[in-house]
Amino acid sequence: MLTNKITRRVFIGATAYVVSAPLLASIFNTKINMRKVVENGQFFDAYALTMLTDVAEIMIPKTDTPGATDANVASVLDGLMVTWAGSKTKQQYISIIQQIEVIAKATYQGAYQQLSLQQRQQLITELDKRAFVNQETDLSASYRHLKEMIFHVYYTSEQANLDFVLIPGGYRGDLSKAELDVIKKRGYL
Amino acid sequence: MSQTLNKSSEKVTTPTSEQIFDVIVVGSGITGGWAAKEFCEKGFKTLVIERGRHLDHPSPEYNDMKAPWQLDNLGFAPETLKEQGRYSQLIAKKKVLKSDSIQFYSDDSEYPYSFPKERPFMWTRGYQLGGRSLTWGRQVLRWGKKDFDANAKDGHGVPWPIGYDDLAPWYDYVEEFIGVAGNKDGLDSVPDGVFQKPWEMSSAEQFIAKNIARKYSDRHLIIGRSANLTQPTQKQQQLGRIQCQARAYCARGCTFGAYFSSLSATLPAARNTGNLTIVTDAIASSIDYNEATGKASGVTIVDAHTKEKRSYKARVVFLCASALGSVQILLNSKSKTFPNGIANSSGAVGHYIMDHFTGAVGMGEVPGLEDKFSYGRRPIGTYIPNYRQDKTDDVDFIRGYGFQTVAASRPSSGTTAKKIGIGVEVKAQANQPKPWYFRAFMYGEILPYYENQANLHPTKKDAWGIPQLHIDAQIRDNERKMIKQAAKDIKEILEVGGCNKVKIIETPNDKHITVGNRTHEMGGACMGANPKTSVLNKWAQSHDVANLFVTDGACMSSCATQNPSLTYMAITARAADYAVKLMNEGTL
Repeated sequence: MLTNKITRRVFIGATAYVVSAPLLASIFNTKINMRKVVENGQFFDAYALTMLTDVAEIMIPKTDTPGATDANVASVLDGLMVTWAGSKTKQQYISIIQQIEVIAKATYQGAYQQLSLQQRQQLITELDKRAFVNQETDLSASYRHLKEMIFHVYYTSEQANLDFVLIPGGYRGDLSKAELDVIKKRGYL
Repeated sequence: MSQTLNKSSEKVTTPTSEQIFDVIVVGSGITGGWAAKEFCEKGFKTLVIERGRHLDHPSPEYNDMKAPWQLDNLGFAPETLKEQGRYSQLIAKKKVLKSDSIQFYSDDSEYPYSFPKERPFMWTRGYQLGGRSLTWGRQVLRWGKKDFDANAKDGHGVPWPIGYDDLAPWYDYVEEFIGVAGNKDGLDSVPDGVFQKPWEMSSAEQFIAKNIARKYSDRHLIIGRSANLTQPTQKQQQLGRIQCQARAYCARGCTFGAYFSSLSATLPAARNTGNLTIVTDAIASSIDYNEATGKASGVTIVDAHTKEKRSYKARVVFLCASALGSVQILLNSKSKTFPNGIANSSGAVGHYIMDHFTGAVGMGEVPGLEDKFSYGRRPIGTYIPNYRQDKTDDVDFIRGYGFQTVAASRPSSGTTAKKIGIGVEVKAQANQPKPWYFRAFMYGEILPYYENQANLHPTKKDAWGIPQLHIDAQIRDNERKMIKQAAKDIKEILEVGGCNKVKIIETPNDKHITVGNRTHEMGGACMGANPKTSVLNKWAQSHDVANLFVTDGACMSSCATQNPSLTYMAITARAADYAVKLMNEGTL
């Protein structure tokens, strides 16, 4: 029985990689506003993790609410590559990181990690537009898939769900905003 | 693993092949649990045989106490499963296979079955103690009089040997024990029962229900009837069950025992009597038949791990292994008297396979309620019961359909994950409340077609040497006609209900609809008065073998439109009561 359970858990990827993903060791480059990851992850190397961290933060920046870096999106994604991703996804994510680098060099004649924040924002914003306008290319498919996962990781994170209630205690379906706010403040029905 | 579960402790003992039980119950799911409870509470030594692994309640495998960010892979099932060809049917059944509950579903690559290539059949299984009662939908609607009369009225299938009045007291009995949150709606199509406080309708659902009521006399939007406790009784509390906390994480297992499962309710009740023995990891391969007595003598199982065969003996056998599981066991129980499977002198075993089907989905925005909100996650939807049984409006089909509906909470604007947009602005606009949105899914009745059948594959076997089940079932002309009318109906209902921007999705005539997709598979050992055309009598007792009963979905002679589990449970309790009388008389 025990063997069966262990086999099953391991097989379905039920490990603790994701929730216990370590914070990435990194150095913040104030000159170009980029967090450089200095250690390899479980799947991505440090260079790729730097790219992922930056791209995710450009997509979901810190505002008055936490951003992608606050939610450890890159390190969680790194863990997911070990426990969740299939071979196609792995290939797509590696490919899109390489392609962003190629686009950076073609556009700005410099490596992505040497560009200013404004240039990087422009690059990713333009890539985002083009990826959805023309969805037929591999570049588009890889980008859209990566973006979807970055958003999923962020929007399921604790940092993005500060008002999540695990045990509501009951259901009400006809509340005014004021009534709802009172319940939310109390934290249970 | 074999266990005798006692009141004070859970001692593990191994029943011997010589030991004769009063009753063997094959399967520990929604009906197996009921059979076990009934027999144990009436003093009979009962053995439950479960093919899957042992689970406790609450179980360490439950994931209901985890926040979204604590779930393995943030809720996603690993992509690698698809690459490995695993869980293919569940992957096809979108949104079911998730990391929070995958442990309660069986992998069809480990437990293969067969179907014609052009007509896939979806057989969703849960091989663990408690079976699919851990993951069921918990919608518990009684069948009405017309549902039981339908076969006799229109000549399809085998006429039911029982009517609503036969089952009504057993519905009461079951509802009181499991706990049903429901409203007394006064509808003949879904008769009222023993209810706890109903779940509240949302403002949008109330709005639509009122508008529908103003226009129609035959169509009603009601709150679903849910096997989630809203006012637990003393008896329910004594079993460790408490009020539902509106988390809607039921499929992960419920630590609170707030929704009914055999693991949280019937099996503990049976265990408390001291009369229950459970054997897990034991795959029932056949019912043993004694040619001399003309009765079933017990059950042969294959050990899931060692693959060794062993047999258990009993006075009475209750087959509760799920509709198709029971059919497989019946067909595989061959003897001199029953060369085509036990209890199969009629040749009807395996025939009349049914499920519900959907082919029309309607949705629309509910305007004018932007100042209304909800709190909590209600564990049940709303429902529009079947109103087509009387063949009104010159429709060109028989039977009918209901709609499973919902607008329990306001949808959010979502994110731009799948569309253009990144950065500060789109982040600020993400997940804002949108207007209320109502959805309706047709649930139609598949007629009991003799041609829709399951039989044993002539050559393919599973890893335990048991012939695979080959299932060939499809919807036909009557069901296609229903889809067309249901699409028209739901458009009108949504508009009458006050919805805007109504959208209808109708499955085209040439698109295959996979039977089994609704996980309401029924039939295969139908009840009927005539032993020449049916397998079971009005007590769900084999016409051929007096001490063999089949009380899961296999016994159903038609499938109506309501979720069927409540009816299975009522039939099981009624059958057990009858069997007890026969046992006390010495007939069995």
